[in-house]
Amino acid sequence: MRNLLDFLRRYYHWFLFLLLELISGVMLFKFNSYQGSVWFSSANVVVGKVYELEGMIGQFFSLTRINEELTLRNFYLERQVTQLRRLYGDLTQDTTVIERNELQFLNRYNLTSAKVVSNSLNRADNLITIDKGSLDGIRRDMGVACGNGIVGVVYLVSSHYSVVIPVLNVSSSRISCSIRGRGYFGYLHWYGGDPAIGYLEDIPRHAHIKKGEWIETSGYSAIFPPGVLVGRVEAVYNSRDGLSYRLKVRLSTDFGNLRDVVVISDNSIVERTELEKTAQDSLSMKLKK
Amino acid sequence: MAIDSLKRIALFVVFCLAQALVLNHIHLFGWATPLLYVYFAITFPRNYPRWGILLWCFFLGLSIDMFSNTPGIACGSLTAIGFLQPFLLEPFIPRDAAENIETSAKALGKGKFSLLAFLLVFIYCLLFFTLESFTFFNWQNWLLCTGCSTVITLILILTLESLRR
Repeated sequence: MRNLLDFLRRYYHWFLFLLLELISGVMLFKFNSYQGSVWFSSANVVVGKVYELEGMIGQFFSLTRINEELTLRNFYLERQVTQLRRLYGDLTQDTTVIERNELQFLNRYNLTSAKVVSNSLNRADNLITIDKGSLDGIRRDMGVACGNGIVGVVYLVSSHYSVVIPVLNVSSSRISCSIRGRGYFGYLHWYGGDPAIGYLEDIPRHAHIKKGEWIETSGYSAIFPPGVLVGRVEAVYNSRDGLSYRLKVRLSTDFGNLRDVVVISDNSIVERTELEKTAQDSLSMKLKK
Repeated sequence: MAIDSLKRIALFVVFCLAQALVLNHIHLFGWATPLLYVYFAITFPRNYPRWGILLWCFFLGLSIDMFSNTPGIACGSLTAIGFLQPFLLEPFIPRDAAENIETSAKALGKGKFSLLAFLLVFIYCLLFFTLESFTFFNWQNWLLCTGCSTVITLILILTLESLRR
């Protein structure tokens, strides 16, 4: 203690100097607008970083408590679900309705695996042949996909083989795709050249698209279920008439390497196509009248 | 002792008024501003209590700031000079000097006094203009102001000193 007082007594002018400089500094930053603004902006950065660090540390230490709270909440919610299910079952006299609903969704799609026996990449209109046919349940206009993404649509069926129009077909390929998370949709075309690049047309100009966003099937056609991967956005261009965007998509399917594919058959497709056909016919009849 | 303090107070008032009424309006070539009040800080005798130097300089700077509308700038710079003055005075004192030798051209010799004055004035102008501009954006202006103000202040100080008995 005495050493401290000695130290203070010998160097007190340092402390006085620092105090007076501090007062000058306060006056400088308070009453001069430019210096004050520099102080304000840099002080804000420092203070902000300190508070951020404090927040992170505090958050870390409260994790055990948050974990416990979440487990309790989970437990409570699970019990609530069981109880609601029982109540619903009592009300509708049907205790297995939830399970049936879940299975029903899966029931809609039948997946048939097939192998590619013939493929081409270098023509304008490429075609793929697979080794399943009508005897295996394949019909025209069924969607074909592989592990990495979509492949194409079934075009011709014989008893043991089917011909598929892949995405890499200039004249016939038109898959309805949408941007994951945003919902904007357009049609995917291929114009020849690189077998890994396709173009998604007619995206409206008010959509904010970024490079790297995922493109998947929209589910608007009866061919593919929604959410099947198509590719990633590589670039955004203006369309030829300047009224919409044209996205350059890097396809996720490697058409050069294709061996195992899956044919998707939607059980509701028949009803949907019939309904859509009836609608078209009745509209064209009205116009003729 | 008391009469010295009275002389100091008179000098204080005179420097404030001179700076505020006359010298603040002089800006030669747009760069050089005479800052004569630094003379007040240079001429503290050796072994004057350090807290005394600091307080005198602080209040002189405060008054100058109030008159020149530059809050905190002269204050901070002059306090720094007040802090440095005893340290810078030490090497210039002849070996057989009295305990409380006064800082003047008569006691130290013209050359030494000029060098001491130049150092202190230069440091003061540097601090002053750095705090005033607070940015290195227009560094030529900053350097020119420092240099030219140093020169003109030094000229005035040496003139004043030669007028002293």
